[in-house]
Amino acid sequence: MSHSMRATRNSISVALVAVVLGLLLVVQFRAQSSGNALDALSATELTDLVANLNTRNDQLRTEITATRAQLDALVSAQARGDTSLGQLQADLSKIRAWAGLLPVTGPGIQVTIAGRIPGIAVQDLLNELRNAGAESYAVDGVRVVSGSVVAGPAGAISIEDTSLGDPFEVDAIGNAATLTGSLTRAGGIVARLKATFPDVQLTVTPVDRLELPATTRSLVPGHGQPRL
Amino acid sequence: MNRSRGAPLRWYGVASWQVTLGLALLALGFLIAAQLQSAVPRTSYTSQERAPLVQTALGLQSQQDQLKQNLLDLRTQVQDVENRGPGSDAAVRQVNDDLGRVRISAGLIALHGGGLVIQLEDSTEPVPPGANESDYRVTAADVRTVVEELWLAGAEAVAVNTERVTGSSAILDIGGSVLVNSAYLAPPYQVAAIGSADLYATMSGAPSFVDFVRARAGPSGIRISFAQPGDVAVPAYAGAVNLRYGRPVESTAPAVGPSASAVP
Repeated sequence: MSHSMRATRNSISVALVAVVLGLLLVVQFRAQSSGNALDALSATELTDLVANLNTRNDQLRTEITATRAQLDALVSAQARGDTSLGQLQADLSKIRAWAGLLPVTGPGIQVTIAGRIPGIAVQDLLNELRNAGAESYAVDGVRVVSGSVVAGPAGAISIEDTSLGDPFEVDAIGNAATLTGSLTRAGGIVARLKATFPDVQLTVTPVDRLELPATTRSLVPGHGQPRL
Repeated sequence: MNRSRGAPLRWYGVASWQVTLGLALLALGFLIAAQLQSAVPRTSYTSQERAPLVQTALGLQSQQDQLKQNLLDLRTQVQDVENRGPGSDAAVRQVNDDLGRVRISAGLIALHGGGLVIQLEDSTEPVPPGANESDYRVTAADVRTVVEELWLAGAEAVAVNTERVTGSSAILDIGGSVLVNSAYLAPPYQVAAIGSADLYATMSGAPSFVDFVRARAGPSGIRISFAQPGDVAVPAYAGAVNLRYGRPVESTAPAVGPSASAVP
């Protein structure tokens, strides 16, 4: 084999290897930055996601049915020449209570927290209560609404400029058994908070009737305009 | 070994192309090994029970988008019918005005106005051996912190991607992704807030926000950026407004917000 033929063959070999190397690099790179975020979820996580989506979709269907009934009632009331004042007032009360603009009463749970705990940990507890389906909440008698945050370092936490005592209570209206189960399950928020803050004591008590005050916060936007 | 004692060892010269080829083959071997290794979990993920779950989740998410749109359309129709009601009746007019205002306060109406958008993206830095991979991803706790810092800085309306944050919005982790209002949101996460012109100055000056940026952007390389577009839009809350356990107490209505006492 002549020298030039051998050199050509070597060049071809190196080029081929380089091509395969390049291909593999691209494949590897793409594999590591996979596009669909669902690809990164395990079967257990996907099952959780499906359960969450199902719950929300069921809630949406119920809400759609109720809103459609409300619309039909309004339309037929107007056709009869009725003012439908009663229905409008009921709708107003419902939205105001949901948003925290009216006091609400109902069954639920009371979480008593004693010891030095930072605001962010109380926020995590509220997040778990929301996830567990609590409808309305108050921290030490201050209604939690959109924009309310429990903030501050351990020993100096406050909500809506109201300092929280030690101990203080978090009240939540909802299904007491579901809420208690969610908070106190193994690996749940109460267990996690106790592990992170060993000196903090959390007690969850079901309550037959709680009364939560309305917020004193103004929820009327001063900068945002309705997008019609 | 049979080699006779005293026989000279033969050494072969190695040409430079052989060194190059050898190194390239070595790299090739590494890559093939890495490819095979990284392919193992994906192969098991895409097998059997996982593929139908992904399809189910995608189907449910698309159903949810449709349901949300249906609900928003119905709410608009309800408002239109209410506004067409007997205009001469002062009591009805008053309740309708109150309803209009309270829907805005409750987050049931989309808003736009001046404000701020904070974007959170996963780290692009390689995860060092022994480090926790989730530290390099944006978590629900990161999104919650940004939302809380925006509220504390005075934001009056906040949304994460397509979901309005209300008093009842939970923000949760599912694997490496985030659920807001039980809707699955894909990264990057854009937290949009409407508020005063000094919203960013107030938030970026807060020690708790500075600590958050230091802790997350510093060692883990979570990418945190912000924009102040002239007009920020936040969507309406498209979810249930339903009290199953609580009952409104009318008699002690607060002075703030539309007052029940205005209704005869």
